[in-house]
This record gives sequence, C-alpha cells and structure tokens, in this order.
Amino acid sequence: MNALRIIGAFLRLNVQVALAYRSEAVVQILLNLMWLAWELTSLAIIFANTNELGGWGPAELIALLGVWRLVNTMMSIIVWPNTEKFNQGLRDGSLDYTFLQPANSQFLVSITRVELWRLWDFVIAVVLIVVGLGMSGRVATPVNIATFLALTVSGAAVLYSLWIVMIAVTFWFTRFDNNVTILAALMDAGRFPAQVYPFWLRLLITFIIPVAVATTVPLQGLRGELAWWEIAGFLALGVAAVLLSSRLWKAGVRRYSGASS
Amino acid sequence: MARPASPAFGANGTPPIVVEELSKTYKVTDREGGFGAAVRSFFKRKFKDVRAVQRVSFQIGQGEIVGFLGPNGAGKTTTLKMLSGLLYPTSGSAQVLGYTPWERQAGYLRSMTLVMGQRNRLAWDVPAADSFLLNKAIYRISDDEYKRSFQELDDLLELGPIIRKPVRNLSLGERMKCELAASLLHRPSVLFLDEPTIGLDVGAQSRIRAFLKEYNRRNGATIILTSHYMADVVALCERVIIIHHGELRYDGGLSELSRRIAPYKIISVHLGGCDDCALESYGVVLPGEDETGKKRLQVPADQVPAITARLLAEQPVQDLTIEDPPIEDVIERAFNEPLRN
Amino acid sequence: MFQIFRRLWALNWAEQWQYRANLLMYLLFWLVAPIVYLAVWTTVARTQGSVNGLTASDFAAYYMVLLVVDVLTSQITIHVLAPEIQNGNLSNRLLLPVHPVLTQVLVNNIAFKALNLIALAPIWLALYLLFRPALNLSVLYLALAVPALVLAFGILFLLGAALTLVAFWTTRVWALWNFYSAVFMLFAGHFVPLALLPPLLQTIAKALPFSYTLYFPIQLILGKLAPQEVAINFGMQIVWLALACVIFRVTWRAGVRQFSAVGA
Repeated sequence: MNALRIIGAFLRLNVQVALAYRSEAVVQILLNLMWLAWELTSLAIIFANTNELGGWGPAELIALLGVWRLVNTMMSIIVWPNTEKFNQGLRDGSLDYTFLQPANSQFLVSITRVELWRLWDFVIAVVLIVVGLGMSGRVATPVNIATFLALTVSGAAVLYSLWIVMIAVTFWFTRFDNNVTILAALMDAGRFPAQVYPFWLRLLITFIIPVAVATTVPLQGLRGELAWWEIAGFLALGVAAVLLSSRLWKAGVRRYSGASS
Repeated sequence: MARPASPAFGANGTPPIVVEELSKTYKVTDREGGFGAAVRSFFKRKFKDVRAVQRVSFQIGQGEIVGFLGPNGAGKTTTLKMLSGLLYPTSGSAQVLGYTPWERQAGYLRSMTLVMGQRNRLAWDVPAADSFLLNKAIYRISDDEYKRSFQELDDLLELGPIIRKPVRNLSLGERMKCELAASLLHRPSVLFLDEPTIGLDVGAQSRIRAFLKEYNRRNGATIILTSHYMADVVALCERVIIIHHGELRYDGGLSELSRRIAPYKIISVHLGGCDDCALESYGVVLPGEDETGKKRLQVPADQVPAITARLLAEQPVQDLTIEDPPIEDVIERAFNEPLRN
Repeated sequence: MFQIFRRLWALNWAEQWQYRANLLMYLLFWLVAPIVYLAVWTTVARTQGSVNGLTASDFAAYYMVLLVVDVLTSQITIHVLAPEIQNGNLSNRLLLPVHPVLTQVLVNNIAFKALNLIALAPIWLALYLLFRPALNLSVLYLALAVPALVLAFGILFLLGAALTLVAFWTTRVWALWNFYSAVFMLFAGHFVPLALLPPLLQTIAKALPFSYTLYFPIQLILGKLAPQEVAINFGMQIVWLALACVIFRVTWRAGVRQFSAVGA
C-alpha cells in the first residue's frame, strides 16, 4: 500500500520534529495536565452544588470529559497543526507543490504535520473514560462498547470532514486567517452534555457545527440510550460527511487552479 | 548559434512541449479601500479582467534549455503554472510529454517537476535527507532507482553533509541545492524552473548553473527557466522566449536577438593626449568612462568597419576594442520596443 | 501628552477597524465559554429550583453583566507586545521619548475594547432576549461601577503587561499566559459566581487580585453588596493597583536591561 508508505515517511519526519522540540513538548504536556486539573475541579464545583446535570451524574460527566478529550486530541494532533500549515502554504504559495505531487491532495494536506507528542493525551482520555464508567457502576456490554467505538469514529469523521469543508471553502474566499475559528471555538461546548444547552445552541452543536455528534452521542451509545435506527443514522452521517467533503475538496482544488470561476 | 529551425523531436515524433494559443484571464474583484466601498462590494461586486497570458504558442524540443524572459507581471509564472498543471487556461491547449498538464495525471506528475526559487518544499525543522525519503514514497521511487538518482545528484551538487543538517540551519545556497535535489529525485524529463537562482550569491549561482547544464547533458531533460539574472540565461540558454503584457514578443536564438533588437556594437577607444576630440561625429558617446580614460561609442553594426578605419586614421588611438552590447540592454529593449517576428 | 494620545487613538482605531473580521472571530471565541457556563448553571438551578439562593434568571443576570464587565476590563497586551519583543521590533519603540507600553499599547487596548463593545451590543441584546435575566439596574450602582471598572482595567492591564514582559527572558511566555488564564477563569468568577466555590477556593480567590477585577464589579452592578463590602472591595482594588504598578515597573526595568544586553 503506497498510502501507508507515505504515512510512514510523514511520521518519520514528524518524530524528528517532535524530538527537536522536546522541551516544548514537556511544557505542553504540563499545561495539558493543568487544564485536566481545571476541568476536574470545575466538575467538582458543579457537583458540590447539585446531584445531576441534565440527567447525567458526576461519573458520566467524567466519562464525557474523556470522550471530549479524545476528539480534542484528534483535533490537536492532526487538524489544528495542518490548518496552520495549509494557511501558511496558501499565503506563501508553497501549497502549489502539494498539488503537483502524484498522490491524493486531501490526504497530503491532512497528514503533513502531526503533533506526535500529543498522543499522550489519548492515554489521559482513555483513563478518564474507564474511570468514569467504573465510578458509574454501569456494566457496559460488548455491544455497547462496539457501538461507542463506532460512534466515536464516525463522530470524529464528521468533524474531520467539516474541517475539510472549511479549508476547501477557503479556495473561494481569499481571506483565510479565520477559516476554522468557529469550529475551534465551539469545541468547548462539547465538554458538557448537549441536553444542558438551550434549544438554539443544541441545534447549533448537533447539526451545524456538530461537536455533540462526536461527544454526547458516542457516550449515549455506551450507556445504551440510543435506538438502533439512531445509531444507524449517526453512522450514515459519518459516511455521508466523508464523501461530501471529499467532493467539495476536489471542487475547491479545481477552483484553486482556475478551472471553475 | 542560430535558432533551431525546428524543435528536436522526441521518440514518438512530437516535441515534448507543444503550446498553442494558450491564454489565461483572471477575474479579479475591483474594490477600493474604506468602509463604504466594502459594503457596496458586498452587494454588488465589480469584476475586472486581467489578461495574464494571451494566445501564446511555442514548441520546445527534447533536451532544449529555453530561457523564459519578461519583466515582472509579464505572465511568465502564469505560463509556467499552466504548463506544470497548477492552473487551467482560459483557452488554448498545451501538451507536455503527450499529457494535458492541468489534468494532473499521476503519470505526468511523475515525469516533470516545478522548482520555484522563492518557495520552500522541504520540511523546515528536519534534515533534507528526510524530505527526500518522503518524496521517495510519494513518487514511488524504488530503492535501486533512489540509490542511483541520489548518487548522481550527490555527485553533481556536492550535497555531502548538508543533507544531514536541519533545513532551517542551511544557507540559502545550500537550501537551493537541496530543493533542486528533492525536485529531481524522480528523474523528471521536463523541468520548469522559476527563478532558481534568486537571492543566491554569485558563486552559488554559477554552481547551480553548472549543475543544470550537466543534468541536461546527462539526462537529455527539457528545461524551461525564468530568471532575472542574465548570466543564467547567457550561460544556459541558446534559445529565449520573451513575453510582455502576456503576449509573445520573441522566440528564437539569443545571439540573433541582439542582432535584431540591438543592431549596434560598442567600440571602446583609449586615446592618447586628446581630451575632447569630437568623438560625437563617429557615433553616440555613451556616458561614463573608466579610470583609464577609455571612451565608449555606440555605432550601428554594419558601419563598424568603416568607423573603426576612420577612428584609426583620424585619432591618436592607443587601444581599441569592439564588443557586443550588454545582454541586459538588449533584453530591456526587447521589452520596451515593439517587435514582431 | 494629550496630543500624543489623540494621535495614537486615531491611528489605533483605524488599525483595529482594518482587523474587524479577526475581531469578530475573537469575540466569538471569547463568547462560547460564558454561554456554556451560563447554560450549565441555569440547568442546575432549574432542576432544583435554586442554587444557594440563586435562580436561573439570577445566573442569567450574572453572566449578562459579566459579558460587559469582561470586555471593559480585559486586555490583549500579550497579543500586541509579545511578538514585538520576540522579533526585536520593540527596539524602535524604545527610542521614542514616551513609554511604549503606557502609550501605544494602552491605547491599542482601549481601541480594541471600543470596537469590541460595538460588536457585542447586538449579540448582547439577542442573548438578553434568549435568557431573560432578572436585571434591576440602579443609577447609583452604575455610577459606582465606573471607578470600579477603571481600577479593574488598570490592575489587569498592568499585570498583563508585566506578564508579557517575561517574553524578554523566555519564549515560553504563551505557556505562562495559558496558566494565568486558567487561574483567572476559576478565581475571578468567570466559571462560577464565587459564592458557589468551596470555602478553601473562596479563600484563595480573596488572596488573588482577580475577584476584585471581575466578581466585584459584577456584584456591584447587580446591587448585591452592602455599603461596607463596597468600601472593602474598593480598598482592595487600590491596594492591588499599587502592587500591580510596582510589579510592572520592576519587570519593565529589568526586562529592558535584559533586552539591551542581548542586543536584539
């Protein structure tokens, strides 16, 4: 598989970058732990004043925090660094080289830069999920776990696709400093269950910038709260998002080369 | 060195680069500064057509090195981008190695390269050698091929230890060597070079030039090159194509260009014991003289023998040389004066 | 001096206006957290009627006032000054016969604030209609809030500037800023009205300057403070302003010495 070989070559490059900036990595890991402490403290404060939040208990919110961090880790390993690289390439013209290479350009744009040392965040996220579930005393069935994994992957695919749409849209507009800001800003809303928010905000983070699809929904799957057709619907959404976004990316590339204007 | 009568032909009988009536028109929004204008343009955008390239046609034969000249904004880069496949033309056609570039078929991308002197393709924080390996994967170069290619480039460019240093620590000249090597690992047979020597010092420039010449000789690669440095053009290109305001102004031999554009020569004379001996009557006295007191006269090419004879007969000439006008002047004139083949 | 500030104002206003798209995005970014917290506490209050005596519409009022107070007192010094220190451009400004931070950077902050307020107005109105806060404003408290807000901005501006000056020594200044923001959000009353914090955290909050720059003005505007509390808080603001002045002066002197020693 040639794609694997390309991924391998990119990983090699990025391992070296990570090693070159290892003290930066240490600082970032410490900061991450600090925010973890902050997030747990904020949960503690909430549950010092109440027993449940939108029908969810403290243990479940810890698990949700884990899922949210899982998605966030994906964003910070791939999405944000490559956005920076993409915008810089658009500004200085080095993006041209990407389109002249005999490989899928969406693929290249998605994996050019990988912040490997953030993989450590995955560990924290998984620990949070396991601890949260353990505290809740709920025994997850294998079916629930499988549902959870599938919904997490499809939720992540939805967010990834949205990112591709956002940077592809940049090809139509020359201003690009803020092409992903709205996505980055709304990521924060995923820390709490979507049921907490007023109707309009729930609508926004479920359908327009679907952060909740990658956070609240997988956890609902794990808790066995979703009907089979809901699960099927969310999985179909993931597939549709990937297909649509790659079509839009291709249209964006055509636009970039002046084929449609 | 005359202009090649017809481009050399490839194996299948067609030249590697055939361009016909290629045009590119950009639509740009015409917007003024200020808040009012911003609001107005939100509702009703005004567009302006910029014709970057207009009906340009040429053919380039196998193994030719062609200089692509023109002032800034003449349409050079737009043309190179169309030929490399980055831009769709508004009209016209181009065939490079039998491919239509802007279809960007993998086969085409693997047999050409575009090098832009001002842009960086190497990963900044790691040694160039690692970027090479990335290209090896992307271009699907086999281990054997890679070894051979790398060996050759290493010999020609004297890469040596510089590929083991992080790219950000390299000098501009070293970086350009690595950029070139990275772009040539897949042994492309067509090279588009946009200002490959820009910003380099004279020594580095001449090394890059020697490399390109040798690469061309060994591999029979076809090269189109743009440069602001006439030394590049003189050293590498027998043939030049000049475009200005997007139109083709000249296509032919470099030496023929000076004959046609600037049919004059420069006579430098060193006179003994004469400060103002009315040299104006022989030709145009060019401003400036060097410290030895040498004076420079510009005279029509066909009158050189007669004027030289008169000078020698009528003036106390100590030394006399006849030169071609500097190539910068010739090109400058080609840009500015109307010219048709 | 007045002339200088007038010119600087014209310049910075025009500049901020150029960056209005960025500013809107910044505003959006900044808005999400308070709205999320508002939603969380409103949900909590609804499920059990009230939290510590605060009803859903009390929380709404708190956060609606917080939005305005935060815009008025926050500062963006690190975004303006840190790049200048790191790329060496500050040296040009050091040659000017006026203090670069207390003129250029200060006015830049104020221009940013002014434009931010204009952009916030329609959003604030929309949120008001969506959340229906129980806002009973009185002229007296609003008038008292003016000096409280000015003092709060003074404290945060000087502390933020002092923190930014750490860039003279290390490129890790952004990590430090990250840490500062986390502390601020917890102890200023950004995440939750401070009365709901556990006792230990409340004690820490009282020892830090941030409760006096955000929580105090909000409570003052909402009319929740007794005259005695108002006086104590004003006193603490003045103490912290004096301390911030000292911290800023010390870091500035040392930083400039460091800067000229390195010769950046």
